[in-house]
Amino acid sequence: MREIVALYRLLVRQQLTIGRLVLTGAFTGLAILVVVVIARAEDAVTQVESTVNFISVFGLGLMVPILSLVLASSSLGHLVEDETLVYLWIRPNPRWMLAFAAWLASASVAVPVATMPLMVAAAIGTGGDGQATFAVALSMALAAMAYTAIFTLLGLLIRRSLIWGLVYLFIWEFFVARVGQGAARLSINTYPASVLAELTEFELPLAERSLTNGIVVPIVVSVVAVALTGWRLNRANVA
Amino acid sequence: MTAPTPPRPPASGPPSGPPSGPPPGTPPLAGFTPPPAPTGRPVWPPPEATVVTTGVSKSFGSLVAVSEMSFAVGPGVTALLGPNGAGKSTLIRLLCGLTAPSTGEILVAGGNPRFDREARRRLGLVPQQDGVFERERALEVVKLAATLSGLPDPEEQARVALNTVELDPDMKRPVGTFSKGMRQRVKIAQAIVHNPAVLVLDEPLNGLDPRQRRQMIALFHQLGNEGRTVLVSSHVLEEVERFGSHVLVIAKGRLAAQGDFHAIRDLMDDQPLRIRVHCQRPRVVASTLLQGGSVSGVAVTGEDEIEVTTTEVRTFRRAVAVACQVNGARLEEVVPLDDDLESVFRYLVGMGP
Repeated sequence: MREIVALYRLLVRQQLTIGRLVLTGAFTGLAILVVVVIARAEDAVTQVESTVNFISVFGLGLMVPILSLVLASSSLGHLVEDETLVYLWIRPNPRWMLAFAAWLASASVAVPVATMPLMVAAAIGTGGDGQATFAVALSMALAAMAYTAIFTLLGLLIRRSLIWGLVYLFIWEFFVARVGQGAARLSINTYPASVLAELTEFELPLAERSLTNGIVVPIVVSVVAVALTGWRLNRANVA
Repeated sequence: MTAPTPPRPPASGPPSGPPSGPPPGTPPLAGFTPPPAPTGRPVWPPPEATVVTTGVSKSFGSLVAVSEMSFAVGPGVTALLGPNGAGKSTLIRLLCGLTAPSTGEILVAGGNPRFDREARRRLGLVPQQDGVFERERALEVVKLAATLSGLPDPEEQARVALNTVELDPDMKRPVGTFSKGMRQRVKIAQAIVHNPAVLVLDEPLNGLDPRQRRQMIALFHQLGNEGRTVLVSSHVLEEVERFGSHVLVIAKGRLAAQGDFHAIRDLMDDQPLRIRVHCQRPRVVASTLLQGGSVSGVAVTGEDEIEVTTTEVRTFRRAVAVACQVNGARLEEVVPLDDDLESVFRYLVGMGP
């Protein structure tokens, strides 16, 4: 256990750079600013729906995946690129431990960083609607969990994972997934969006799954991605 | 040019095993043990050996980085000598399990370090690359290594390891601000913190000043004398002389020879050796050296630099110190130039001098 804690502490510290903190602050500020504008511009009836729509598009579609990518792709990716992975890899610990600690380090930053400001925005935009605020928190947390797991794996698998991650997000998640049902099933975004839609009872883009699927699939994706990361670490050629 | 002589590793005799070593026709070397040849004797691996490779090859596409290598080494300091690009770093990566061999088998401390956690627990590695966790303090880096190795009091062990390499454990600066020599010592500290039975060091003296080099070499000997297997790679022959008497010579991905260092030293004595000397008043020092007869050629190559050619290294070393002293010139550094090694390696792999 203390090995995981030691790895976790190192990897969290490695991730928290000034650039990433600035990006986080920018997303947070923008989310709250737009919701405040919506709250002032619209009447009470449309304000809640507009807020949930904005959070779905901006939060789920942009903020959470990009924050998750920026944090998680560097979790192991940075160690690969600066050739420090060897110091952790050579130790007598099971490799799943390193994979899990890397994901945990990204998720434990991405989940609150993505969830808290959007919860605040939801609370402002919905006039303190508890159900909507909870829906936002749950869907953002699920999305951040799944995305960080996938991007932790991506960071290990390929160099320049930040760029390739952006390519994946913009081509698959933002474009292809919105074209057809089949593609949507293979999009992470569709599952937390479905949770948000089910719990707020608004129609949202990509929200075509059940509440159960919306909760279970991101968790399964996270577990599988972390397991694959550990498996890949076991077979990695370490510089 | 005398070096402390650590206990001779027990595996220096000719073990039997799969074919390996220089290509057919390689001239035999006096004092050198040829790499293992297939003799059919059932003594492979030797019982005392802690690092054993049997017919190990590693290819990257069409490039064969390590070819059919078989050797065994035991406790004591063993130097892995070879020119840049010879395959030393690939061999070290193989020995530490960082990459899998294309063919062959590797046993380190009784297991395959790629998959055997207990083997990794008994293994310490100083990799060649400079990078350490830049934003961490030295104590944190070494403490992390101790924690991951399952030591009961990681901080205390980390302090001991840092003191061993003469670094202050309470230094507040992050490792990223350290000089190359200080980073190198952090890397050594993290490798020895868990008292490994096998310590593998890839060019560990890079970036260290002469005093630190002496201190590190003494540490390697101490670790070897305590019964650990210390495998140190270098492409600098003069360094290897001080590491110990047992060497593995790697050239073009093959084990060209293994055995006593002094045999290779004798071979070197017949080869003209180029040496760069950094000192004050280089012209005067160069003139004194020429008059003294310890060099066969000398050239002033910079404001504080001369380059000499000699076949009498031991005599030259004494002469250069005296030449600087009598001329009131401060002697900064004496560096053997790597190019001279190439002729020895070419000879070892049968290409002629």
